[in-house]
Amino acid sequence: MKISRRDFLKGSAATTMFLAGFNFPVLASSSKKKNLVVIMLRGGMDGLCAVPVIGDKNFEKRRKNILIENTIKLDSDFALHPKLKTFYSCWQENTGAIVHATSIPYTARSHFEGQNLMESGGRTPYKEKTGWVGRAMKLAKLQGEGLALSLPMPLLLRGVPKNNNYFPSDGKLPRDETLNLLKSIYADSSEEELMDMMNFIKKRKNEEMMAGYSSNWDKRKNNNLSKQAAAYLRKPNGPRVAVFEVNGFDTHAAQGGVNGTHTKCLVEMDNIIQNLKVELRDSYKDTLILTVTEFGRTIKQNGGNGTEHGYGTAIFMAGGLIKKSQVYTDWPGLKKKELFDGRDLNATLDARSIYASAMSTVFDIDFNRIKKEVFWGEKLDNLSEKLFKM
Amino acid sequence: MKNFFRKVAFGLKPDEKVPSDPLIWAQKQVETIPEFNWKGKYILSEKEMRKYWIKLRVEENTTLRKKYKNDPEGFRRAERQLENDVGKKFWPNNEICIRHAEALKSDHPVLAKLWYFWGNHFTISDTQTLSSFSTGAYQREFLRSNMDKTFETMVKEATLAWPMIMHLDNKDNVGPKSISGKEDWRREKKKPATINENHARELMELHTISPDGGYTQEDVVELAKIMTGWRPKWTKGRDHGHDVSFDRERHEPGKKKVLGKVYKSGKKGIDLAIKDLVNHPSCRKFISTKLCKYLITDNPTPEMIAPVIKAWEKSDGLLPEVHKAAIEVAFEYNNKYKKFQNPENWWLTTINMSGSNYKYPVSEYKMNQFVFGFKPSHEMRFPSWLLEDIGCHPYKQKQPNGYSDLEKDWLSTELVIRRLMYAKKAFHQYKVADQIDDTIHERIIRTNFDNPDKILKIVARAKTNEEKHMILFNLPEVLKA
Repeated sequence: MKISRRDFLKGSAATTMFLAGFNFPVLASSSKKKNLVVIMLRGGMDGLCAVPVIGDKNFEKRRKNILIENTIKLDSDFALHPKLKTFYSCWQENTGAIVHATSIPYTARSHFEGQNLMESGGRTPYKEKTGWVGRAMKLAKLQGEGLALSLPMPLLLRGVPKNNNYFPSDGKLPRDETLNLLKSIYADSSEEELMDMMNFIKKRKNEEMMAGYSSNWDKRKNNNLSKQAAAYLRKPNGPRVAVFEVNGFDTHAAQGGVNGTHTKCLVEMDNIIQNLKVELRDSYKDTLILTVTEFGRTIKQNGGNGTEHGYGTAIFMAGGLIKKSQVYTDWPGLKKKELFDGRDLNATLDARSIYASAMSTVFDIDFNRIKKEVFWGEKLDNLSEKLFKM
Repeated sequence: MKNFFRKVAFGLKPDEKVPSDPLIWAQKQVETIPEFNWKGKYILSEKEMRKYWIKLRVEENTTLRKKYKNDPEGFRRAERQLENDVGKKFWPNNEICIRHAEALKSDHPVLAKLWYFWGNHFTISDTQTLSSFSTGAYQREFLRSNMDKTFETMVKEATLAWPMIMHLDNKDNVGPKSISGKEDWRREKKKPATINENHARELMELHTISPDGGYTQEDVVELAKIMTGWRPKWTKGRDHGHDVSFDRERHEPGKKKVLGKVYKSGKKGIDLAIKDLVNHPSCRKFISTKLCKYLITDNPTPEMIAPVIKAWEKSDGLLPEVHKAAIEVAFEYNNKYKKFQNPENWWLTTINMSGSNYKYPVSEYKMNQFVFGFKPSHEMRFPSWLLEDIGCHPYKQKQPNGYSDLEKDWLSTELVIRRLMYAKKAFHQYKVADQIDDTIHERIIRTNFDNPDKILKIVARAKTNEEKHMILFNLPEVLKA
């Protein structure tokens, strides 16, 4: 076998020709523009901190110093972290759901490998050079419709050309005259891509997209990025896919209870959902928001009141394309023998089944095609009917 | 012809004398490895830098985690203080100053440009806080120092360098049949000894023969077995901060077969395997192609690559000879082929051609003022901030294959916006006297272009000196060299 792979460590992706990206013809009113938003939770999100199981003595005993109090009861078995206020409002409106005891098929507990796989969707670290969202977009012919709220282009979106980044730089954009001048210079030397970029930058300037809604210092924070992303996504000819990153879930020490470090990260995620919900306006009902993470965390707290790298975790889903509020799970239990390696929450569902089903719903592609062409025909379950509005 | 100075270096300063023989000017620079131009007080070895890494790691994992286990806010505060105590935000900036002084202030900018090439070739990606302490020192000590030796020497040193072993997980590469692999604690703690093939794969795929070498998954596993046991040992007091050494007890016993050749068990295996990899025809072809890609064009032709391969064969991979051959090809094709400059090389070209290097890099005097325990000043932190903002911080690659070298990967709006913003920033690196000097652009242009009148006419369309800077350094002639 000849080994070949990736070239995915690029400065930034092939994100040229923005105009092409944002100038797609307005979709006919009969086919609604549906949006997919993926929030990558880096560092290993603790599904049992975010969505704890109710009344499991074993669980409470093992993490007594970092147990979350005053949780919100979701159903007879699960509760919600009390700081996830927006997500709870989604839940109450039937646009928030959770899949629990799930994970990508990776058990070796390295962030480096895990984060590569959560984006590539494969089984062998570093083998793939494209991401599962990028491949599905290519299948759906969604060229130039992906937006990364970061630099450089994340692996997750690679695989389809002409995606764009939004990650504002410092300072004010140049005057229109400067941009026009450069544009004419590029025109004279047949630098067409650069020429188009000047148009795009002018447009961004007119939309005041540089500083955006926010003051200068936090314009690259998710709070601002999510408002900007929503403004793009709600446009009929805007992008259809947006990807966020939330860092810092790797809480080996002082994970903390309701005001701890893990909570802080979860609140950042909740804030993204909130801004999207508000700023997407009517488009929220045609949007699906999903989370991914590389692994969950150990059930037992460690000596530093933190948790170690684990396996099974939870996925948050929000938006109008959710079928109903539910915690969807095939709960494996938390008795010692039910745990993975005797220490971690087991994963009874391949997270990729959820992602494939979600993309089948948002991109209107047959599930089996996604399974075959995005996930190499691996054994994944079609959960579209159970989780999403068809 | 003057484009050549941007192609193999960073252009010429406004009043710099144009070298009469550009080819000899460039080739002479790669014959020996001079001292660093930077005269600041901190140029520490990789091993000395490791002490700071160890302190951060050990204190955070033991002391702080215990002390603040019920106080997340206190933990964050103490963590930040500890970071200041070990200079976490100071070191990468100091290293970038050393790195960029080579391009901007030394008399061997061509060597600097090639040094950056090797730094990206033997990438240490951003993991385990290596970028804050070790990557800069590693690039000085294991790459630059070896640029007057053979490629084989460079591969050997880079492969067994502590940061490389750490970031490609060879510390976790343990022979299942080794003495350590059979110990009881592994069963009890469920930590079986396993082969970690990560480093072995990269050694072949990224560092030497590339997938064109035709190796199989089996070859990767066998090379990984040869590499078992090469690791820093772990102790509570120093974490993984010990020197890399060969741990016989973790080495997989028995013969290994890579690309058809058999290697005996033991410490010598890795040197012998590297020797064979660097002498594989795919290796010299791969590296020669990559060099031509870096200096000449995204799509080098076989005619460009051939003389580099020939120089490699003639000199047994002696790097000065290989570099000289690549420079000569770059000279030959100077007018016909242009290479899109990555953001870092573009920034250095902009500063160098502007002649504004009294503010950038930050001076030795200013960097020497750093006091451990405090956050470095805004000015001291500028180099790292800048490189991250333009999307190619040389110690923060996300994956082991480093940054792309292709135009299409650097042409995105966010990055083009940054070129406009940073051309303006470069203008503000000037002293006021230069900012109001209306002859400055004419001097830059007359020194750096063969067709100064045409360029002057274009730039004259800008209204202010600041705008002239933005136009000049975003001309296709500067973006591509």
